[in-house]
Amino acid sequence: MPSESTRATSAAEAVFRIAAPNARPRATKVVALDRPSVAVVGRLARSPRPNTSFLTIPTEAPAGDGAFSVSGWLRDLAGHAKNLADEIAGADQVVMIATAGENAEAASIIGEACSVRRITTTGLILAGPSTPDEALSRTLSHMRPWALMLVVASGEEYIEDMLTALRA
Amino acid sequence: MLRKEQNDLLTQTGPNTPGGRLFRSYWIPALLARELPEKDCPPVRVKLLSERLIAFRDSEGRLGLMDEFCAHRGVSLWFGRNEEGGLRCPYHGWKYDHTGQCVEVPSEPVESGFCKKIKLKSYPLIERGGVLWTYMGPADKQPPLPEWEFALVPDAQRFVSKRVQESNWLQAMEGGIDSSHVSFLHRGELNTDPLFKGAKANQYNLRDSRPVFEVVESAGGLYIGARRDADEGNYYWRITQWVMPSFTMIPPRGNHPVHGHFWIPIDDENCWTWSFDYHPTRPLTDEQIKAMEDGKGIHVKYVPGTFRPLANKDNDYLIDRAAQKAGRTYSGVEGIGMQDASLQESMGPIVDRTRENLVSTDNGIIMARHKLLRAVKALMQNDVAPPGVDIAHQRVRSAAVVLPPNRPFIEAAKEALTVQDGTAHASV
Repeated sequence: MPSESTRATSAAEAVFRIAAPNARPRATKVVALDRPSVAVVGRLARSPRPNTSFLTIPTEAPAGDGAFSVSGWLRDLAGHAKNLADEIAGADQVVMIATAGENAEAASIIGEACSVRRITTTGLILAGPSTPDEALSRTLSHMRPWALMLVVASGEEYIEDMLTALRA
Repeated sequence: MLRKEQNDLLTQTGPNTPGGRLFRSYWIPALLARELPEKDCPPVRVKLLSERLIAFRDSEGRLGLMDEFCAHRGVSLWFGRNEEGGLRCPYHGWKYDHTGQCVEVPSEPVESGFCKKIKLKSYPLIERGGVLWTYMGPADKQPPLPEWEFALVPDAQRFVSKRVQESNWLQAMEGGIDSSHVSFLHRGELNTDPLFKGAKANQYNLRDSRPVFEVVESAGGLYIGARRDADEGNYYWRITQWVMPSFTMIPPRGNHPVHGHFWIPIDDENCWTWSFDYHPTRPLTDEQIKAMEDGKGIHVKYVPGTFRPLANKDNDYLIDRAAQKAGRTYSGVEGIGMQDASLQESMGPIVDRTRENLVSTDNGIIMARHKLLRAVKALMQNDVAPPGVDIAHQRVRSAAVVLPPNRPFIEAAKEALTVQDGTAHASV
């Protein structure tokens, strides 16, 4: 191909790579699905991530007549109510964090909302070495239908690395 | 993305580097046994982990792997005479045994004992499963010999090849745990390659090009499960094994042999891609071996007399745009091995991971990097042996299974993911 001015690959050729940015920042929502995960998300939020919001869901029973509404259902880490639809409307990706053995059924509400808007979901389950198989299975079954990618990690430090890798 | 210092840590494997110390914790493949076929055969130059070495099989069949250069004036011992229990430098006749010990310096009186003061750095070299393995770490940390299943089956049940890949080891290895590319890059081969075609599950791969992934940590590395829709509401799972630092086993297809890889750094800009096929319970057929020798499956055709692929970057991988347009191959490059290598080499010798934009389906890669970085840190700070050294971590299998939608693969396929002597892999 004589008209081409560069050949495949070499260290010398690599220096001519264009240095301009090749992507815009991504908006990421990280949602803790259970009480132990709230603490994890709180620690993650200490690192500066300007395009990432950290959210929780109420773990107490609904007040009053128990009727459920996604309006004002989510909370930020300061406890302010947030609307699910508003939160994910501007999101590029949603990461749901759960603890093995805990109830992760809220994944269905978030997952369904994301599915409607074609937003990528990642599920991350924290499972220690002593986590019984059935506890992990229960949490997996809650999350599996609603996460394009599920990760079972042994330590929360993985989440930090994952968010960095995903440019969150 | 990775920060530059993280990328450097994982991609640099020379002496006295953290990544190099990680690789020097393991027995790694150094040569094919057939490269040193007989006693006193010609020596072979080997570069591993940025160290230039010479390998030879002496008059008694003992294997040696040592510094390539004569201690006298730095001549390459590749020119040496392999005779009478050692390798002799042709320049002035200095001779070394298989441990690197100098045993003769003709110019010096024997009585002076001068030769005893000369010893080349050497590493153990052992033969197992058609492969010569070396351990390049400290002698007091030498682990048990490798117990990968492919290396323990009878010779007739195994085929092993290697090829030079002109890229850093990590970007090559990451291709091996990136299951989502199969439905694109290799889709032309699933129904035509003799080592892939005919498996019932191929239709699941081709029908569902958007697999869903589950990544689960294992003792030695990772299980990477790719889930696709099967029949009657069930899921077809392909579970890849990754064992640290660079072993992968690809899930089987039908009753075809099972295959996998090691990626071993030659230096920071080149690596060996080792490829193996084996069947745990029966000999490979003549047709299968012929296909592997002809570069089918994960193997490649070579430039004659070398381990360099015939399709390589100097000939643009013999890209065939007409085949690409007609859909016979997806990228225009022929063969699964070179389809992978061509794209991985196109990234540059060491890909700049500060510029990549990973997505959710790349979590297998993200987790592998995380585990490698964690292992390097534990090794450097607390001298902790990394995962994959323990032979129990090596007794693993990949699997392909159909499961009901509510069964986690890690629980339902637990037995299938470890070596079960006398049984075949779980496959569809």
